[in-house]
Amino acid sequence: MRTILRVLRYILILVCLIFFLFPVYWLVITAFKPSNEWFTWPPRFWSTQLTLSNFLGAKETEVFGGTTGSIENIFPYLRNSIIVGISVSLIATIISASAAYAIARYKVGGAFLAEWIISIRMLPPIVSAVPLYVIFSRLRLINTWWALILSHLVIVVPLGVWLLISFFREIPREIDEAAYVDGASTFQTFFYVIFPLSAPGLAAVAVLSLIQSWGEFLLALVLTNDARAQTLPIFLGRYITGWRVAWGPLSAAGIVTMLPVVVFAILAQRYLIRGLTFGAVKG
Amino acid sequence: MKNRLVPWLMVLPVLVLFLSMTIYPFAFMIWSSFRQYDLSKGAETRFIGLANYFEIFSDRTAIESFKFTAKLLAIAVPIELMLGIGVAFLIRGVRGEKIIRSSLLVPMMVPAAVSGVAWKMLYNYAFGPVNWFLSLFGVSKISWLGDMNYAQLGIILIDVWQWTPFVFLMIYAGLQSIPQDLIDAARVDGADWGRVFLHVEFPLLRPLILVALVLRIIDCLKTFDIVFMTTWGGPGAATHTYSFYIYKVGISFGWNIGYASALSVLLLLVSMLLVNVVFRLVRMRQQLGFGGEER
Repeated sequence: MRTILRVLRYILILVCLIFFLFPVYWLVITAFKPSNEWFTWPPRFWSTQLTLSNFLGAKETEVFGGTTGSIENIFPYLRNSIIVGISVSLIATIISASAAYAIARYKVGGAFLAEWIISIRMLPPIVSAVPLYVIFSRLRLINTWWALILSHLVIVVPLGVWLLISFFREIPREIDEAAYVDGASTFQTFFYVIFPLSAPGLAAVAVLSLIQSWGEFLLALVLTNDARAQTLPIFLGRYITGWRVAWGPLSAAGIVTMLPVVVFAILAQRYLIRGLTFGAVKG
Repeated sequence: MKNRLVPWLMVLPVLVLFLSMTIYPFAFMIWSSFRQYDLSKGAETRFIGLANYFEIFSDRTAIESFKFTAKLLAIAVPIELMLGIGVAFLIRGVRGEKIIRSSLLVPMMVPAAVSGVAWKMLYNYAFGPVNWFLSLFGVSKISWLGDMNYAQLGIILIDVWQWTPFVFLMIYAGLQSIPQDLIDAARVDGADWGRVFLHVEFPLLRPLILVALVLRIIDCLKTFDIVFMTTWGGPGAATHTYSFYIYKVGISFGWNIGYASALSVLLLLVSMLLVNVVFRLVRMRQQLGFGGEER
């Protein structure tokens, strides 16, 4: 009886793993399949002729009219994603840290300010998408990196502030006071004493900000309209709406979009979990 | 305590950002929700009172989108909760626990645009693995994203796939924090597996389950990306989520800023209410160092 239960348990676990991992596996394997294996019945779950042509382009893929044969034209989008992501990450880390320090140590603005900042994170982005569109078009910022950087900052800063408040609260106050006694100003204490001590927290905020900006879809969709500013998720959206969708390059583009996020997310797992559950789980 | 000005200078950038990027847009939104403001009919606007709000209740697509969002809440969220709790218990103490845990987290880390791509291929009518799998059981091919009867189910399944890991993660972490002594003590007193769950583990997990529930509800109201990527709201209006409908009204082909604003105001109110609930549940104030203990 016990053995049966144990076997059953492992079978169930296996079923779960297949359900949750198969979609990702399918995307990855399709990205490396040659074009004659994209559309087959029964589907091929493994390929003996794995290829990089979906990423790099190849003659054989011109079956699809050459327009969606590979992802050579991904570069402007990749560039936009990198520029926006890194800018958001750097700016968010700096302004979140300084705000979090002021809130954690000086209680600036009281509970109201802190809760207001953090609550922004949970509001539906569509709510701000419409007014932001109107405002950015008046400022002539539509389809620029700045539109994305500013709007993504709104999404990522609350999480950064929240994480860093809890981080700074774990640093004993005596350390700040020692610095004051030695004649350091508030800014000096912050930069030379607190910053180095909270390096892991700052790194986590930088990584989480990058991840969120990189995967953000709705605001990027609304605030940009061509390759000058569109990011990778929007590139994917464009692919999928074309009436003839080439699975190989589509999946390849999917991998490029997904890979940095998944890698960084696994690295920063602990903080990601803490942040997603708002401290309900310590991670 | 030193100069009071310096701390304010330190929050200033965030303050300016949020005043200009949230308070100002929200004020603009509330203002335009009371006005006839339709970019497709010209740039001038005029005050029309609550007309935009009344329109919601006679707008069939809006009601469709209410219904589908409600279905997501009523079907997908409970499944995610039960499945997440089930999986957490299933893998607890099993060999290779850590690696299984990390692998199960992958779906929630994949950007929604990418999972949309993956699922669109999986659901493909002619060549998709989902139909192939069903064919093993003699089920004939289903047009998952194009058929009135299946498109909603298709979206619900994707949501379950993407967000069950989130619930699982919370419950799993909660289980880890239950002292083993407590369970052992119940065991010694002769409680079987079911009783331990019902009288020891479940009561301890309840607050966490509640937080998971409310966080899932909040996220469910945001559902947009996956619908945009897979069905684009179709067929007909079957898979319009509320957020997706606002997008359609305000941006994609409506340009009816006034009406979209009225829809948004409603969503904003509901979300703010739920955020309040979450903050109470996780004791946000104490976490931030306001009220309660002071150090």
